[in-house]
Amino acid sequence: MTLYHFVGLGMVLFTIGAAGFFIRNNAVVLLLCIEIMLNAVNLIFASFARYLYGTEGQIFIFIIMTIAAAEAAVGLGIIIALYRSHKTLDMSLIKYLKG
Amino acid sequence: MEPAIFWILSAFAVVAALAVVFLKKAVNCVMSLLAFMLVMAGLYILMGAQLVAFFQVIVYVGAVLVLFAFVIMLLNLKDAPDRRFAFPAGVMPAIAAVLLTGMIAFFAWLALQDADFSKATALQPAAEIRQIAVDLFTRHLLVFELASVILFVAAVGAIVISRKEGDPS
Repeated sequence: MTLYHFVGLGMVLFTIGAAGFFIRNNAVVLLLCIEIMLNAVNLIFASFARYLYGTEGQIFIFIIMTIAAAEAAVGLGIIIALYRSHKTLDMSLIKYLKG
Repeated sequence: MEPAIFWILSAFAVVAALAVVFLKKAVNCVMSLLAFMLVMAGLYILMGAQLVAFFQVIVYVGAVLVLFAFVIMLLNLKDAPDRRFAFPAGVMPAIAAVLLTGMIAFFAWLALQDADFSKATALQPAAEIRQIAVDLFTRHLLVFELASVILFVAAVGAIVISRKEGDPS
């Protein structure tokens, strides 16, 4: 296995997450797509750490996991607040910020 | 043996990611993401990053996905209108996202053309856990401390955002 296999897999997964972010309506699934994208980036970091023999790649992964956990907590709090005020999680029905 | 494991795991990862995007119910999406996270942990072990694989299982599967499942169970979504896909409004942005990722890949390939990674065949042992810990607590100590501040602020912020208006508790 070469580096290009892992980086290519990371790119494919990032693309799936980025496309899914735009074609889904459910707010929870949008957060799940963000998690897919973060994991794809983590995979690319890990592969470069493996093939360049450094520790920085894995340390970056831990920091990204921390950010992902914080993002999930705040995002789910926002989702609960949205559901309370709008009684829906359908992003196409939440239009106050669309101008 | 290793290439076979890689192709099987990557096929599972792509299928699970597509399932997250295309399944109808949010609970099924969360379960697909759980499978995706476990497959990613397998890929990390294949890469020799065992510590990352452990954290992947503990942090993502054990904490983040449980939080997602809790929120879905908390909100009774049966009476809420749920359109599955943002057709046609989201199709053009999705195509733009795919093209943008392809563009990033192209420019990364262009920039790294001279660097020949194909000779780095991962025969040497991966970074030791001890070395990672030493680096994390010496050279990257500030980032480590900042991570604790970020987690604290996020926990307080999540509580403040999600509580009811005018609820003193």
